[in-house]
Amino acid sequence: MLRLIKCEFWKLKRKRFVQLVVAAAFLFPIPLTYLCMHWPTIQAHCSTQAEVFDMMWQSVLGYGIQLLLPCILGIVAALLFFSERDNDTFKSLRTVPVSSTALVLAKVAMLFLFSTIFCVASTLVSVGCGLVAFEVQGIGYKLWMSIKMGVYITAGTLPLVAIVVFFSKSYIFSILLCVFYSVLNDVGTFVMGALPKAIVYLLPVPLTTLWGATDMQQHMAIGDADDLRAFAGLVPSEATVILILTGMAVISVAIMALLYKRRGE
Amino acid sequence: MNEMIVETTNLTKCYGAQKSVEALNIHVRRGRIYGLLGRNGAGKTTTMKMLLGLTKATAGEAKIFGKPIGTSEREILPHVGSLIESPGFYPNLTGTENLKIFAELRRIKKKDAIQNALELVGLPYRDKKLYAQYSLGMKQRLAIALAVMHNPDLLILDEPINGLDPIGIAEVRAFIRELCDAQGKTILISSHILPEIALLADDIGIIDKGRLLEEESLAALEEKNGKYIRFLVSDAAKAAQVLLQTFKTQNFKVENNHTLRLLDTTLPVAAINRCFVENGIDVSDAHVFEDTLEDYFKKVTGGVGIA
Ligand SMILES: Nc1ncnc2c1ncn2[C@@H]1O[C@H](COP(=O)(O)OP(=O)(O)OP(=O)(O)O)[C@@H](O)[C@H]1O
Ligand SMILES: [Mg+2]
Repeated sequence: MLRLIKCEFWKLKRKRFVQLVVAAAFLFPIPLTYLCMHWPTIQAHCSTQAEVFDMMWQSVLGYGIQLLLPCILGIVAALLFFSERDNDTFKSLRTVPVSSTALVLAKVAMLFLFSTIFCVASTLVSVGCGLVAFEVQGIGYKLWMSIKMGVYITAGTLPLVAIVVFFSKSYIFSILLCVFYSVLNDVGTFVMGALPKAIVYLLPVPLTTLWGATDMQQHMAIGDADDLRAFAGLVPSEATVILILTGMAVISVAIMALLYKRRGE
Repeated sequence: MNEMIVETTNLTKCYGAQKSVEALNIHVRRGRIYGLLGRNGAGKTTTMKMLLGLTKATAGEAKIFGKPIGTSEREILPHVGSLIESPGFYPNLTGTENLKIFAELRRIKKKDAIQNALELVGLPYRDKKLYAQYSLGMKQRLAIALAVMHNPDLLILDEPINGLDPIGIAEVRAFIRELCDAQGKTILISSHILPEIALLADDIGIIDKGRLLEEESLAALEEKNGKYIRFLVSDAAKAAQVLLQTFKTQNFKVENNHTLRLLDTTLPVAAINRCFVENGIDVSDAHVFEDTLEDYFKKVTGGVGIA
């Protein structure tokens, strides 16, 4: 398995999107820093510069990791999963022999690695900005939280990846699917009070938002504590989150393995 | 040594209603080069894919090294090298990097395995050129290098000389021969080019429309298609009578009213000629023909008839 993952890394050599993923980690922290520095409401809301930074980092988590990451993952997944089909290397791998399940698992592992890299980079960039503009507290918690969030979001995005693999269409089509999925998730987050609990829990972003906001409230200043109280009955425990996401991930991986096996013929 | 390395029994593959391979029984013996010969769409690639477990057989079974391919894939495949249809590699990597990936997956310990394989096919080691920039022949060479890199006992090569120039073809032919003769490898090779197979193979299987029409050693095939004498006569039926009565042979064929083909070439042509004339049969031509394998191939696969 480790060999397969190693080989997945080798296959990425000279591919530009790896750099792009890291660059995407800069996308939100920098403008958000600027906003937080100059937006009077935020400045008025927070009593210390550390609180401003906390809010800024939360927005990075919300936009960068919850909104952008599923899109990035979908695209990276398309690149990873289409590579054997596009390059006609499936037959060479199958005759090694590498099983299609192992191949799918290696690629899913790559997705988790990517999201971790992205989340760590996001937080580090935020911290960098924070050190310049505000005061920074609790780096350890923020790193840990962002990694967890990244892993959860990735697990929750695997159904999307399964859909991308199922259609196995062009890259454009896959990207559209990802954007659609992201928007769906965000709309879900906005209207989650009105949705049945089952649906909220099946969409990774609302699910992790609920849990994440509550968790963060216990560790740092949070902007919309009152909002949160309205959802008190809906908030899942971390164990529930892990359980749901693991279930989704396992089912998605099983479907992908099946699809990959059939495609291989 | 008559040990079977590849053996299929009634191997069949259907794509929908179409039978791409039907009740195929091929036998590849240890240390031999087996040429699978067939026209486009005959089912060569499909057969090889089934042997490698790349596609499931609809019916029948295939054994490699005496083990059924369906259940013993993990024991069989590490000892098999293969090249199926066009080569497939990662375009953003160099040839060496591509091979490195597969060497890693195959757990090849030998450090110079990649270098040796590349040298064998005449590609530079640690070249900077990306696979995307390779020429057709270079891609094919890299695919052959991949097939032989892990020193397999059995090689399954689907049209390995595709896209190679004449010198490349001769090189590949020489090293396939060498692999077989010097290292005792067993090789299953497919082609639609008969002279290529005739130059290389020890045994030949002719496949057409998914069915195996002939399976024979090259020597036997050549013998079978040896010389014959074609007579153009005024009355072929009468000439046949003469041959039967005077020369006591049945080893001939009447092709039409005026053409007779004598397969027994040991008989004296001049005497037969004289005898025909004495019996009032005009002989306008008597000619020794040698059927080439090519003609034979065309004949059995229902291609354009022989001259
Ligand atoms: N995946 C597939 N789906 C449907 N039909 C297929 C498939 N693969 C092959 N066939 C059909 O099976 C038949 C045999 O194909 P195959 O590729 O085995 O021929 P071949 O002998 O390798 O020919 P060539 O010399 O052109 O490579 C063809 O009629 C082809 O159309
Ligand atoms: Mg073919």
